[in-house]
Amino acid sequence: MSTAKRTNDVTQVLHLTQPYISPSTTPSGSARRISRRWRFTLTEGLSRLLAGLVLATAVFYVVGFTAWTTWISFTDSTLLPDYTFVGFKHYARLLGSRVFQVAYGNLVIYGVGFIVGAAAIGLLLAVLIDLKIRAENALRTIYLYPMALSFVVTGTVWAWLLNPDIGIENFVRGLGWVNFRFDWLIDTDFAIYAVVIAAVWQASGFAMALLLAGLRSLDGDIYKAAQIDGASPARMYLKIMVPAIWPIVVSVLVILLQIAIKTYDLVRALTAGGPGIATTLPTNVVYDYMFQRGEMGAGAAAAVMLLLSLLLVILPYALFQRFQKRKQYRHD
Amino acid sequence: MWNTLAKLASSRALLVTFSLGLAQTTLHAEPRLTVISQWSAGAEGAAMDAFGNLVRKEGVTWQHSPVPGFTTDMMNKLRADIIAGHLPAASQLKGPDIKAWSALGATVNMNDVVAATDFAQNISPDLARLHKPRGNWIALPLQIYRVNTLYASKKAMDKIGATVLPRTWDEFNTMARKMADAGITPMAHGGIAWGDTMYFELVLAGISPDAYKRAIMELDDKALRGPEVLASFKELRQLTQWMNPSNAGQHWSVFLPALMKGEYGFLMMGGWASGVLRRGNFQEGKDFLCGPTPNNSDKPIFDMNADGLVFWDTKNRDLLAGQKITAKVVMGKEFARTFTQINGSVPVRTDVDLSDAGYQDCQRDAAKNLKGAIAANQVLMSLGHNMAQPSGVTGELRDVLTEFVHNKRITAEEAQKHLVNAADAVR
Repeated sequence: MSTAKRTNDVTQVLHLTQPYISPSTTPSGSARRISRRWRFTLTEGLSRLLAGLVLATAVFYVVGFTAWTTWISFTDSTLLPDYTFVGFKHYARLLGSRVFQVAYGNLVIYGVGFIVGAAAIGLLLAVLIDLKIRAENALRTIYLYPMALSFVVTGTVWAWLLNPDIGIENFVRGLGWVNFRFDWLIDTDFAIYAVVIAAVWQASGFAMALLLAGLRSLDGDIYKAAQIDGASPARMYLKIMVPAIWPIVVSVLVILLQIAIKTYDLVRALTAGGPGIATTLPTNVVYDYMFQRGEMGAGAAAAVMLLLSLLLVILPYALFQRFQKRKQYRHD
Repeated sequence: MWNTLAKLASSRALLVTFSLGLAQTTLHAEPRLTVISQWSAGAEGAAMDAFGNLVRKEGVTWQHSPVPGFTTDMMNKLRADIIAGHLPAASQLKGPDIKAWSALGATVNMNDVVAATDFAQNISPDLARLHKPRGNWIALPLQIYRVNTLYASKKAMDKIGATVLPRTWDEFNTMARKMADAGITPMAHGGIAWGDTMYFELVLAGISPDAYKRAIMELDDKALRGPEVLASFKELRQLTQWMNPSNAGQHWSVFLPALMKGEYGFLMMGGWASGVLRRGNFQEGKDFLCGPTPNNSDKPIFDMNADGLVFWDTKNRDLLAGQKITAKVVMGKEFARTFTQINGSVPVRTDVDLSDAGYQDCQRDAAKNLKGAIAANQVLMSLGHNMAQPSGVTGELRDVLTEFVHNKRITAEEAQKHLVNAADAVR
């Protein structure tokens, strides 16, 4: 009763001041509609503006600087940018240069060795930990720990371990096995594999963590079903578990790939690109030309080719994914 | 909260007084010098402090901002300063880099200041040329190091019964072979690219200074394909057989303690090694011998590494006044003695007396060597230390040389071809 009356009063008051607009009686009144639309467009506009700003910054930073670097790679820039167009001069020179060829050969060896090595060891560790062992948390932390180190620390530590005079070789010889040889670090042909060892040591714990999370997300019934069917543990993991977490495996591989391509500091700390130029990677070449030799144009060209080599791997993968998705839609 | 505000207010007040102070300095036109260099610590830092004190004595406010790390780190800072338009009044730079960098920013013409002294008459003309790249003095050399310096372990020398350093490459090979037979590793060489480059340079300079000038300093194709370069690669291959195979990536100083113990025989390194040895309490004559590297020519050669100071035009009266006074100081003998004694280098001026106890015999020998080489026109610019070529060219040649040192399957003939190709790519 009192509520009704108050409402009436309010309505009357409102009627007095604004005769045609009565929000309480006409919820779908034009004013409310306007204000709601206003509020909607405001929030919508703001969020669009923000999204636009973020996107613009990202585009500016990523696309803008990539475009600028590409442009610089076609110019005669040395210490400072110089916009004299020289065409493919730097590209031709780099492709013909020995250090560049060595660097790309190394990238292939290092990339394949690192990705396969880290993923395989990571999977092995994940499977072993997945067997519900004791002290799982402690072990997981220990395995993951190297990831917390920077590549510079890894490089320095492994430079000591792999140095034949003070490291593993010396240690084993000290134990009495005097003919033991482990001198990869100083062997021009094997030094790049020494880099692979250090990199795999650092990243396999990370691969383990992701793969373990994947394995844990699987339904326990799958294990039981497989066990009942009499599958051996190895077969169970390789034929059932890994395919079931395949998307995670692919993520691990892609993350490892981009770590592999951008590796710079590890080589810098572990071998300084040596012996000679034997462990130089493309990133080292880019840095060397840009900041050591004062040849910005050639450095930019090396950077662009690095980007192209990344696209060479990523693009087919992206196309493949899109192709798979389409196939899925069609089936749906 | 109030505390923070009060702190903020007081720091504001400080800032205001500080900027007022700066403004006052500008009004009084007090000479001042802003300088950047990589010399931040150790003997180098101490030498810069001493430099600052000498300049301060002349009434200049000295503002040194060291950029620790490699020379290239300092150069990256300099590049940022140039792009931002905040040039320091002076910066460390050397060799052909002076010419390359002076194209990026305006420099101060110091011709009058130099002409008012006898500096130009008392330094190496080859060195002078690097500091006036377009005919005008825009930079001044601070100190010189003799790159072609040979250090021998006294213990190793005693073991093979030798008392004097080898003078030619043949003598050197004979002695090194004796050491190898006695169980000593003859060469104490680190395995970093610039060091490998330097070893090639010292061998070629010792075999034929003339071929070095043409092949390395002028990138002459005929000289690069010539027999002297091939002979140098062959000698260098011999030297690599006498090195510790695990030297890859090691800094040269790592091998110093073992060299002093007599486990290694020889080290070829610029004169700065003397300073390091002195700080380690090793004595010339007692622990090590020091002299020029082997030289097959009958006249002295001097492979030079010289630090310089470039003067940038900041369009500021105070700084210009400071630059002129600093230039005068740098050209004086007092600076030469102070700066080189601390660093263990050699004065740029050849008329400085080095007889007092602040110098080592090795520095005196290098100074004498410099004088002789100037007279014989055999002053060479170091490739490994970016004195002979701009860094782009050096880098290309360095790749070839360091690969050759560490990959024993590359023959001297192949290496020579690689070097010719590298020179073609950058010429």
